[in-house]
Amino acid sequence: MGHKRLRFLGLIAVAAVVAMACGSTPSGGATPGKTFKIGLVTDTGGLNDKSFNHLADVGLEKAKTDFKIQGDVKESKTGDDYVPNLTDFASKNYDLVIGVGFLMQQAIGTVSGQFPNIHFAIIDGAGTDAKGNDLKHPNVVSLFFKEQDAGAMVGVIAGWLEKNGKAKKNKHVIGAVGGVSIPPVNHYIAGYKWAAKMEDPSIQVKVGYSNNFNDPAKCKGVADPMIAAGADILFQVAGGCGLGVLQTAGQKGVQSIGVDADQKDADPSVIASALKKVDVATYTAIQNVVQGSFQGGALTFSIANEGAGYAVYNFQVPAELQTELDKIQGQIKSGALTPPADIPA
Amino acid sequence: MGAGLAMPLGSVLLAFVLGAIICLVTGADPIAAYTGLLCGGVGLGCTQGENSALQISNTIVFFIPLVTAGVAVALPFRAGLFNIGAEGQLIAGAVACTAIGVQFQDLPTPVLLPMVLIGGMAAGAIWAGIAGVLKATVGAHEVVTTIMLNYVAQWLLRYMIIGGPLQLGEGTSTSKPIGAGAHIATVFPAGNAIIFGLPSSVYRVHWGLAVSLLAAAAFAFLLWRTSFGYEIRAVGQSQKAARYAGVSVRRTIIFTMLIAGGFAGLAGAVQVAGVDHNLTDKYFYDTTGFDAIAVALLGLGSAVGIIFASLLFGALHSGGAIMQSDAGISSNLVLVLQALILFSIAANFVGEIRRILPFGRAKPTEAIPPEMPPAAGLMSGPPASVEDEVK
Repeated sequence: MGHKRLRFLGLIAVAAVVAMACGSTPSGGATPGKTFKIGLVTDTGGLNDKSFNHLADVGLEKAKTDFKIQGDVKESKTGDDYVPNLTDFASKNYDLVIGVGFLMQQAIGTVSGQFPNIHFAIIDGAGTDAKGNDLKHPNVVSLFFKEQDAGAMVGVIAGWLEKNGKAKKNKHVIGAVGGVSIPPVNHYIAGYKWAAKMEDPSIQVKVGYSNNFNDPAKCKGVADPMIAAGADILFQVAGGCGLGVLQTAGQKGVQSIGVDADQKDADPSVIASALKKVDVATYTAIQNVVQGSFQGGALTFSIANEGAGYAVYNFQVPAELQTELDKIQGQIKSGALTPPADIPA
Repeated sequence: MGAGLAMPLGSVLLAFVLGAIICLVTGADPIAAYTGLLCGGVGLGCTQGENSALQISNTIVFFIPLVTAGVAVALPFRAGLFNIGAEGQLIAGAVACTAIGVQFQDLPTPVLLPMVLIGGMAAGAIWAGIAGVLKATVGAHEVVTTIMLNYVAQWLLRYMIIGGPLQLGEGTSTSKPIGAGAHIATVFPAGNAIIFGLPSSVYRVHWGLAVSLLAAAAFAFLLWRTSFGYEIRAVGQSQKAARYAGVSVRRTIIFTMLIAGGFAGLAGAVQVAGVDHNLTDKYFYDTTGFDAIAVALLGLGSAVGIIFASLLFGALHSGGAIMQSDAGISSNLVLVLQALILFSIAANFVGEIRRILPFGRAKPTEAIPPEMPPAAGLMSGPPASVEDEVK
């Protein structure tokens, strides 16, 4: 009895398979001229993360309008999906496979070794082995950012407000909350502190780390003592954890600065964001492939090539501050000023 | 049996029909969506040049931990226990496997591989055993304790790889890699010889497949061919009757949870030894242990059912990504399908779940005096007849 039923089920399953296979439409025929195929793999944040993944997709969409490309996206549901998602694009001979974020470093390292003829790009990382060593595969380009450039611009804003008595408490104290003391985080803080001191030599910059990138409560715990000690502008460099900085700043009536992407919607206390322009980096990587100028190694995005910057909102920027910002940005762009990569004393 | 099979199959069918309607309503093409799912799941009907062998390999990689973790949910379910903690037990197993694999990384495979697998099982067993002992001794409900232990395991893992002893290096959120002796071999040889049109190392399917099928077989044998399995089923049917028949309910609860945790820990250890070779922060978001609950329910708690349900869920997981890139439909549709399947099963299980959950046992409103509106009755505490029952 059970067997008969199973056989019946088998028939149904086969029928379903056949029906689905027949229903599929054949892929479009060959088109004149080469259409470049670009595959984008997000990390677990997904396309609507309002940050890296979203910006990478913005870059891809812009490239779609400018070049003859077919752009496809795969969102990774879990860390288990990185390798299969990258492998699928590579196995279908895509011209460029882009991985978003350093979490995908090892997956990029593995897959780029298996497909030496496919080009790969990775935001904020490299293709590494299990020990984190860069494998330096010639078919991988790392897209890095000069975070200190973006940090310097928001540092100018904070320092100028303190110097001119426009901050909430005017005790010449500001703060920065980092996630973990790693290079990308410290680059941001270095530029921020350097520029704030340049604007207001009497300023005191408090720096703390939450040792976490996800838990807002941890970052709030670091930010609250800074606010109690007189800090009235707080720069968060801690991803999701840093949302706690923005929120506690709002609750305590002081101001805050967002990071990586435009964070104006995160909290009304946010007056500016230091930006990593992942869209520019993604677009540039695609452009290089389309124009046949792909090179393995690293590309660095900074103010000089429009790959880093800042955004201001929720407050009226005084004309003098805007003049100052434009001046500093111009000087960084021309190389007259170079924000440091290490946090100054 | 017939009615039993109709339920899971009906649930899956219903989910796919509703999923197609959702596609249509949102302006997407359900045929394209399901073609992509089918291609990514089992390698059939691919339209964009996907490699069929690669798709099947990926599905099996997702299938392997689901089977073993599914068993870890199904076994306690047979004893009337709801193990929501498979995820935590799986993580405990993965952590133990990694710790041993890192610590003794120079040992050869015949020594190290059994060590990491047994270590993972032991860690999972201890993790579930805590809930079992609490249930058997002080009556702490296993649904609550196993859920809480999930968090403990997640944060333990977080500590281990961020600032803790297993961290690879400053600023990373991964562990050191386990020694080569702790790796489970892949079915296809490592290296870049071309097999089915692609370098053989892209096929990640590994011999953990055998481990998971053995786990399912061991589960069936334990449940139906041993006296302990009989005791588990007896306790699951009725604790009072089992006690009258001379079964120690406490002992059965504790050992059931220990064995279940062993299975879940094994799932985590096999994942590390067979695929990842280190711990990453993916476990902050991993859902294998929760999918295992759906797998166990859909599989009706039987070994064969769990295998089929795991194949379905593995194929859905693997197919979702292909569906997204081929049909342009968000792979979140897969989560919708999984949720719909679970929802329709859960609707069938309501009676069973009510029996198991602590608040499911309260008598309905008939015990409330007629002059009181039902809401007031709920506000003023449990109805009198329940109090009597407790005494």
